[in-house]
Amino acid sequence: MSDHPRPSRVARLVARCYPRELRAQYAEDIARFIDDQRHDPARGGTFRRLQLAALLSADAARSLTAALLRRRPPEPPAAARWAPPLPPPPSEPFMETLLQDIRFACRTFLRRPGFTAIALLTLCLGIGANSAIFTLVNAVLIRPLPFAHPEQLAVIWGMSGGQRQLLSIPDVEEMRARTRVFQEIGLMRTQSVNLTGTGEPDRLIGSFISAATLHLLGARQALGRLFTPDETALGHGQPVAVLSYQAWKSRFGGEPDVVGRTLVLNGRPHQVIGVASAGLLDSYQSDVWLPITSAPNPAWFTRPATTVWALGRMKPGFTPADGERDLGAIAADLARTYPVPGGNPTIAVVDLHESITGGSRFMLIVLFGAVGAVLLIVCVNIANLQLARATTRDREMSLRAALGAGRGRLIRQVLTESLLLSVIGGALGLLVGRWALGVLVASLPGGLPITTPLTLDATTVLFSIVVAVATGVFFGAPAAWHGARAGLQDALRGGAQTGSVRRIDARSVLVAAELALCIVLLASAGLFTRSLVALQRARTGFDPAHVLTAEFRLPSVKYDDSVKVINFMSTVLERLRAIPGVQSAALVDAVPLSGNFGSIAYVPEGEPRPAPADAPSAGINLVSDGYFRTLGIPLIAGRDVAPTDRLGTEPVIVVNQAFADRVWPGQPAVGHRVVLIGPPDITARVVGVVGTTTQMTLSETPLPQIFAPKLQAGGIFASIALRGMGDEGALTRGLQQAVWSVDRDQPVWKIRSLESLVERDLSPARFTVGLIGAFAALALLLGIVGVYGVMSFVVTQRTREVGIRMALGAEAGQVVRLIVRRGAAVVAVAVAIGVAGALAAGRCLESRLYQVGGADPVTMVAVPIVLAAAALAACWLPARRLARVNPAVTLRTE
Amino acid sequence: MARRSVDGMLPLTPAVLHILLALADGDLHGYAIARRVDAATDGQVRMGPGTLYGSIQRMLDSALVEESTPRHREEGAERRRYYRLTPFGRRVLESELGRLAAVVDAARARQILPMPDPA
Repeated sequence: MSDHPRPSRVARLVARCYPRELRAQYAEDIARFIDDQRHDPARGGTFRRLQLAALLSADAARSLTAALLRRRPPEPPAAARWAPPLPPPPSEPFMETLLQDIRFACRTFLRRPGFTAIALLTLCLGIGANSAIFTLVNAVLIRPLPFAHPEQLAVIWGMSGGQRQLLSIPDVEEMRARTRVFQEIGLMRTQSVNLTGTGEPDRLIGSFISAATLHLLGARQALGRLFTPDETALGHGQPVAVLSYQAWKSRFGGEPDVVGRTLVLNGRPHQVIGVASAGLLDSYQSDVWLPITSAPNPAWFTRPATTVWALGRMKPGFTPADGERDLGAIAADLARTYPVPGGNPTIAVVDLHESITGGSRFMLIVLFGAVGAVLLIVCVNIANLQLARATTRDREMSLRAALGAGRGRLIRQVLTESLLLSVIGGALGLLVGRWALGVLVASLPGGLPITTPLTLDATTVLFSIVVAVATGVFFGAPAAWHGARAGLQDALRGGAQTGSVRRIDARSVLVAAELALCIVLLASAGLFTRSLVALQRARTGFDPAHVLTAEFRLPSVKYDDSVKVINFMSTVLERLRAIPGVQSAALVDAVPLSGNFGSIAYVPEGEPRPAPADAPSAGINLVSDGYFRTLGIPLIAGRDVAPTDRLGTEPVIVVNQAFADRVWPGQPAVGHRVVLIGPPDITARVVGVVGTTTQMTLSETPLPQIFAPKLQAGGIFASIALRGMGDEGALTRGLQQAVWSVDRDQPVWKIRSLESLVERDLSPARFTVGLIGAFAALALLLGIVGVYGVMSFVVTQRTREVGIRMALGAEAGQVVRLIVRRGAAVVAVAVAIGVAGALAAGRCLESRLYQVGGADPVTMVAVPIVLAAAALAACWLPARRLARVNPAVTLRTE
Repeated sequence: MARRSVDGMLPLTPAVLHILLALADGDLHGYAIARRVDAATDGQVRMGPGTLYGSIQRMLDSALVEESTPRHREEGAERRRYYRLTPFGRRVLESELGRLAAVVDAARARQILPMPDPA
């Protein structure tokens, strides 16, 4: 126990945290108590010290609360009313004044439930929407991939004519051997795999890889083991398989004895050697990992077939640009030795994270911007409401100043109110955000690349707290500043109804800013909506209604020559046409909008053969007879592919109008011959011309395309297209039975309507329009509320003036015009700034719009008109109230 | 200070009860009271200075305790305030303990608490 005559400084400082009632009597005793505790031998050690600190904080807080609850505002002595201002009191403990301010703020909020409810509602919507969108942005763009040194990982693509394309396996092998930048390069190709011998034939998504790929993707084994480099090496490959964690759980019941079992994949038995652990691998959505050597077609391994993409880890200190230079040089060297018709691809090396998220980056940033603008509008709105209130609180503030409150103290009190509001709003916002995130996740278009589950995590909570605090300071600042300026004179002069012109101007500036932001948001939403409408009306060139599609791939082990393949195809075609309700059926390699696509280099017969790199190319699609009829593509000239265009007959092709226009402008195309550059080269006669269709997306400019007969060109992969009336379920079963009646081990997959493919292509645009539209609507609502609020306030401020005017003979109409004119000036400024902002935003968005310019006149005129009309209506309502004022009553209230 | 009835003081808050118990053996100063309470309750009740002096203030107001002069005061030593029970305080303590004992007896009669071993 301490024997010092006086308590230590620390103890006296801590004692200052206690309420003043207690300190008046016991300041020294408390300090001595604290010293005793500190020096008590039973309380040595860091942990005990911390415990002591916690005990003291809790104790002080409890005492403060108890004191506050007991404290009554003291009755001011009568003399104080005319006493001169007191000198500022000695600085009070921070905690105490904070609690005092919070208590006072709560009372103020309860006294004005309307304001509080509106402020909290808009805040929690604004902060909630921000939290939800931030979670998306964080998950997709910010959070690093869960690997060691993710910046060293890069994806390697071929590039040809500005398009990404696959690489050939020998080229990748060559790059792996010769690179000086990469430590390790793996290759990968994902494709459907037939699973047979387990009940109904089924389809798995398989990824053909080298052992390095799994290592690069950070895979671990949950069971068994992963591939050894030997097992995937060309020439040494083994028929082994690794299951993905998800497939193991969902398709194999999570049974541990799956390791060692044999699965018949693409007609060949593969032994399961392990199960990969859950993680990033899942985002590739593969069911099974197979050695590249198990590829379904031996043609995969020879030039010029481009069949894989590659993944590499660079040595420390190298960037993707270094990798691109290094591999590009190797590729250029290879191109001299092995020139490819249509030109060898160049090499693109892209950071792995960027390659996963690149496509969605722009949209996410747009959404984040929109939601940020909404929050800004919320802030401006509340700032305005607070400011309106601050003006009416001048007397209170002046009185406080007169009673000795310093400027800092006044600012702190107003800021405490704002911060309390925004923190409560933020907490509610997190709840809203959690809910919104659920809705968002449910409506996400499939394309968003997310490698981890979306949850409101610590980062998001931290973000929301920061946003809430920043928001509070931002919208509280104008009112706090105003409050601090409130002078003694105003209070003594009395008359709460005199607002100075300057202050109203500050509020008009805020409203103008708010409306301008509204215009930017509304215009962006308008542009996206117009683009979506145009996209929905886009000419696809085919009729998607009542068309069902599916895909299958024959195992090359079983169908090892072209005759077997073609026999299968023609038999299936007959059976498909026999399904009840089917009007027409066809086989096709690449159904429009399915993501499948092929291209081929060509030269019209008789023209000099260009250098391989300069040969023009067009889309190539293999179709059976009846394909054009099934999809409703018009036959413009000549004939359709015929069932007799088979292996061994004269090679023929059908071309689309775009192709005919490009190659033989102004002349009939039918009868011309075209050399399709191989190997082997094939010279084919054009027998028909059909309408042009879009292939990859609705928004593309339709490309020249060549259609060759499926039964002539062969190929183990095909899609089915059925046009039929009636129940989709019945058609689906009919389709499966038709295939299984030919080969009961042959799975068919991706059974879906052509309409669903169109819908899938539209869904990202719909998602954007839905979200931005919702934000814009919210912004408009807030903007109108803001205008109404300010004009109502102006009206209250000017009631006396208008009363005098009307007493002197002003007409009601003149009064309304007077007020509305004032509002109109604000709206005009807002429109000018807003349209400028909207044009700037439009320029940024232009690349994502379909058949709509960034400065689309319809949007840029309609939006300001709508906004101005709504805003003027919001001015007119309070003005009308003013015009009905009875001058006698108004003047009497003075 | 007006005399108050014993019953009007009951029930006591835990802090007040423990301070009265600690002072029952003799006069103590503030920190000594807190240590005594800590020891008597096996650390279950830990009083900080705010709770302690807040309670003592109220107990002085209602005359349960009073300040005492320490028996031997050394020259130059610190000035500490000692407290002792007033006769009223002792009566309040006794009647509060009686009340608690009755509660415990009632609990035993309903076999909520085990009977004590016969001494």
